[in-house]
Amino acid sequence: MTLSLSIRDVSHHYGDRLVLDSVNLDVPQQSITAIIGPSGVGKTTLLRLIGGFETPDRGRIEVEGEVVAENSRLVIPPQSRGVTIVPQDGALFSHLSVGGNVAFGLKNRRSAAARARVKEVLEIVGLDRYEKHRPSQLSGGMQQRVALARALAPHPRVVLLDEPFAALDAGLHEQVREETVRALRATNATAVWVTHDQEEALSTADQVAVMIAGRIQQLASPADLYQFPVSRQVAEFVGDVFVIAGTSVGSGDHVRCALGDMVPISRACPNGPANIVVRPEQLSIVQDGAAGSVSVQVVGSKFFGHDGIVEGTFSTGERVVIRLQADQLPQIGSRVGVVARGSLLAYSD
Amino acid sequence: MIGVAAATVLAGCAASDGESSNTSSGPLVVYSGRSEALVAELFSQFSTETGTELEVRYADSGELAALLITEGNASPADVYFSQDAGALGAVEDAGLFSALPSDITQLVDSKFRSTQDRWVATSGRARVAVYNPNLVTTVPNTIDDILDPMWKGKVGFAPTNASWQSFVTALRVVRGEDEAEQWLTAFKANEPVAYEKNSAVRDAVNIGEVSMGLINHYYLYEKIAAEGADAVTAKNHYFTGGDIGGLINVAGVGVLESSKNKDAANQLVKFLLSAQGQEYFAQKTFEYPMAAGVAAYGDLPSIEELNPPAIDLSDLKSIAKTQELLAKTGLLTK
Amino acid sequence: MSSRVRAPIALVAPAFVAAVLSLVPVWYLFQTAFTSGFAAVVDELMQIRTLQLVLRSLLLMVTVTSASVVIGIFAAWVVARSPLRPRLLLIIAFSLSLAIPSYLAAFAWVSWIPGISGFFGAFIVLTFVCYPFVMLPVIASMDISDPMAEKVALSLGRRPFGVFRTVTLGQSRPAITGGALLVALYVLSDFGAVAAMRYEVFTWVIYGAYRAGFNPSRAAILSSVLLMAALVLTLIEVRVRSTRDTFRMGAGVRRATNIQFGVTARIATIAGAVLLVSFGAGVPIWRVIYWTGFDSNTDVQWDVVFRSIATSFGIGIVTSVVTALVALPIALLSARYRGKTSQILEGSTYVAHALPGIVIAISIVYLGIRTLRPLYQEMPLLILAQVLIFLPLAVASMRTAIAMSTQSLEHVARSLGAGSMMTLLRVTIPLALPGIMAAGALSMLSSVKELPATLLLRPTGTETLATQIWKFSAVSDYAAVGPFALAMILLAVVPVAVLTATTRQGIAR
Repeated sequence: MTLSLSIRDVSHHYGDRLVLDSVNLDVPQQSITAIIGPSGVGKTTLLRLIGGFETPDRGRIEVEGEVVAENSRLVIPPQSRGVTIVPQDGALFSHLSVGGNVAFGLKNRRSAAARARVKEVLEIVGLDRYEKHRPSQLSGGMQQRVALARALAPHPRVVLLDEPFAALDAGLHEQVREETVRALRATNATAVWVTHDQEEALSTADQVAVMIAGRIQQLASPADLYQFPVSRQVAEFVGDVFVIAGTSVGSGDHVRCALGDMVPISRACPNGPANIVVRPEQLSIVQDGAAGSVSVQVVGSKFFGHDGIVEGTFSTGERVVIRLQADQLPQIGSRVGVVARGSLLAYSD
Repeated sequence: MIGVAAATVLAGCAASDGESSNTSSGPLVVYSGRSEALVAELFSQFSTETGTELEVRYADSGELAALLITEGNASPADVYFSQDAGALGAVEDAGLFSALPSDITQLVDSKFRSTQDRWVATSGRARVAVYNPNLVTTVPNTIDDILDPMWKGKVGFAPTNASWQSFVTALRVVRGEDEAEQWLTAFKANEPVAYEKNSAVRDAVNIGEVSMGLINHYYLYEKIAAEGADAVTAKNHYFTGGDIGGLINVAGVGVLESSKNKDAANQLVKFLLSAQGQEYFAQKTFEYPMAAGVAAYGDLPSIEELNPPAIDLSDLKSIAKTQELLAKTGLLTK
Repeated sequence: MSSRVRAPIALVAPAFVAAVLSLVPVWYLFQTAFTSGFAAVVDELMQIRTLQLVLRSLLLMVTVTSASVVIGIFAAWVVARSPLRPRLLLIIAFSLSLAIPSYLAAFAWVSWIPGISGFFGAFIVLTFVCYPFVMLPVIASMDISDPMAEKVALSLGRRPFGVFRTVTLGQSRPAITGGALLVALYVLSDFGAVAAMRYEVFTWVIYGAYRAGFNPSRAAILSSVLLMAALVLTLIEVRVRSTRDTFRMGAGVRRATNIQFGVTARIATIAGAVLLVSFGAGVPIWRVIYWTGFDSNTDVQWDVVFRSIATSFGIGIVTSVVTALVALPIALLSARYRGKTSQILEGSTYVAHALPGIVIAISIVYLGIRTLRPLYQEMPLLILAQVLIFLPLAVASMRTAIAMSTQSLEHVARSLGAGSMMTLLRVTIPLALPGIMAAGALSMLSSVKELPATLLLRPTGTETLATQIWKFSAVSDYAAVGPFALAMILLAVVPVAVLTATTRQGIAR
């Protein structure tokens, strides 16, 4: 498999602060890679390094096998990397028309081929009727799609998207996201996509890199990432979870905790005290006292429409959260039985 | 007739040009501190009569002196025509003037040319007390009379005017710094009225706003020429007997040592001192002619009658010190 | 955060040349000052009177700068945020006073109210001449900054004035400090207004050294004091700016919104604007017309007037284009590659601005007569002198505009294959075009009224509007001054209209 982008042991400082710590990342051709993590962990810095706007203090960056930066040496400047960007605010050139923006990165901008390419990508993002418009005449979502078309037009080796929908309101968000993915797929682009929205990452990316405190903690497919997070931090970041205390028993494949004495876990955990990470959708409610269930006192519930959340306490006093269909929400103050389905996650740290 | 005479003189000069290195084919370059409105016509008469083209750069006399000093020997200027003797003295001190031939210097009284014959005056301005005869019965004989309490609040002057400052400079040169300061302090205590410029002083005297003003002699004649004698009540009083109040300051001219065109330059100087040139000043600006034999305008008393104070006009270049003293005594600034 | 990428040599080289040229007056001053010996320099500078005059200059500088900042911000607010319209008329009316030479404005006031002369008169005239230096960049900054921030602040319970003070002014702070520096330097170097108002400040002794002392080296020694003051002011401004404008505002795709206005506020605003225009431009224009009409037996030589307009216009156009070209690399460096080098290069162009025009002119004479003899008293040297005088105006105006467009636009351009020079040409410069045009317009305005350098360096016989006004006012022929002064003010409407048209580009309609 050919790699579009390869990042090897890249470290970077701002003054004394280590922002990136030995980052490694491989991005296969025609894939979408999402980088997620809390804000301020160095995601945007990594994009700046890939784009060439800064040079890594240590490590190497390759684009399609070609070294573009290595050990604080800028080997290939931004304009020659074939790496385009879609910034957070779109950053359209207000002095150019929509068509002018899209044509910006094309060679021989006045040629018939260039003009055809502008039409083509504008069609892909559904804005072919707006070629002559000024950016200021477009809505925020449309501006963002123009920014994407502009980045795709010159057939880049890699497209970098930096929280491209952060500035849009929630309703637009999902629609523009879907259109973006469709456009990326339609043009066979290779994309690296930075976001702090894990749902966005899980639903669109081929692989997801979780970045915490300057390190890539895990790089995996969305399903693997969800099922087998490598650390408690990753698990807590990907999807909703709550944590209870327990002990790893047996050959390290079961735990004892408030949910039972012999609950299976999906990743081995050394024997001894462990933090048990539970996803609310892994639990279901049965009659209080039913066989294999544990008793939970219901202290609250939240209604979301398609589903709901029940909050309760175990007999240990630990907090529990259960995701249910909305019509199954129990009375506050009642006691219910709770059973765990499938395997839980346990970490010794 | 005068024109013919001048042309003859000039033709003579031209004939003597010969192949001297002091000629060059380009136009004669004049730096003029005298304003275009006053002298452009005279310059064009010179060009018409001699065929010598002039290139005149008009600016403030002092700034032109500074320009000449900065340019040094590389200056493109051939002739420097200054409004004031002080600026001529400064250029002379910088060693930039060439000696004028005696056929020029002999035209002008030695009081009105440089002691080294490197510049000559072309016209003179007498300081006077312009007064309103309806308000004044006894005029002051000396500048010290003006300090009398009878003049309190009744004397106008123009503190920023260069001629007033030349007068104060003469006061300093003749009486010394301390006595000059005493005079100015007493003058200030007598509450003189400051005006923007000399013509405003004259007009104030004419309408009786103040009784008397310290200005140059020709402002009265400008007004008479413009508005007719009937419109003018004010009269000039001349300080005589060598009193500093009767200082005659001059405009003058010198030829640059670096000039490649000295013959034509001298020719221009000679033209300014010719009957034609001198008549021009007398009639157009009402100034005193400097070359012997040309009469002053109208009923002006002659320079001999005025008997101005004996002072080396080159000494009037310390105007900067005068301004400091005026500022110190509160007469110049607010 | 500014990029750590090194500045392209194609920018550094021309900026370096411009800085070296700007330092010609400094080089001249030191050459000349020290020919009289170090002892003479110390002696000249250590006099009580020198100190007193420096203090008077500083007093005038501080008061005029403060008043210009207040008035400039008010005028900018009226244009950019108040409901008063039309905008074109407002900017032209507010900028006209910039077109009137300070000596002419001062004389207009004194001839109307003789008692105004002194500190107060100088303060009034200089404030009215200078406030557009603050107003123009602040308008640009308000146009481009996000009005949303102001609405947010209002929604958080701030009173409108509090919002204005904290949010609006906060966003315009770099523009304000930049404008204030220009005002301060202008006041230090001005002679026209303080001479006509008979308020003795430091430039008096400098001009006195030329006009009354005929002593260029004394003038040079004294001028070095202004140079020091300029250096200190420039350092302060650079310090203030680098701690303030570290964040960048949006790309300029914004919609301007106006704050709701009550009747009282509306009347107060209109009254303020009317007063400002009446005193700033109204009084001088009224006096000029009065002079012209007073003595109607003077025939106006229209052909001379039109020739002078053509000459002033020609010199102004060439000067403004050259100034803009020379200023651009410095402004780009200063806005995009901040560091010691760019600060020194930019600072070099500022120091000369505190020097009176005549000092710059004499220093160009000194350079021209020695090294550029064939160009001496030819147009190119006059243009050069004017460019040096107006360079800081242009740099300040452009730097603000460039710093306001976000850097992510340039990153996008780089990622799309444009090299650093191509990015400048295709993105940075087009986006900063309003600022660049404004820089040219300011230079043009200043060029039309420039006198001291023109008088000494013009080709012999060349008459501009400024030299004509000088020529006739020197012989107190104010009736003849009138047509030229009016022509000067009318000619100023051209660059002011350019300023107006270009500052509008920041707003979406």
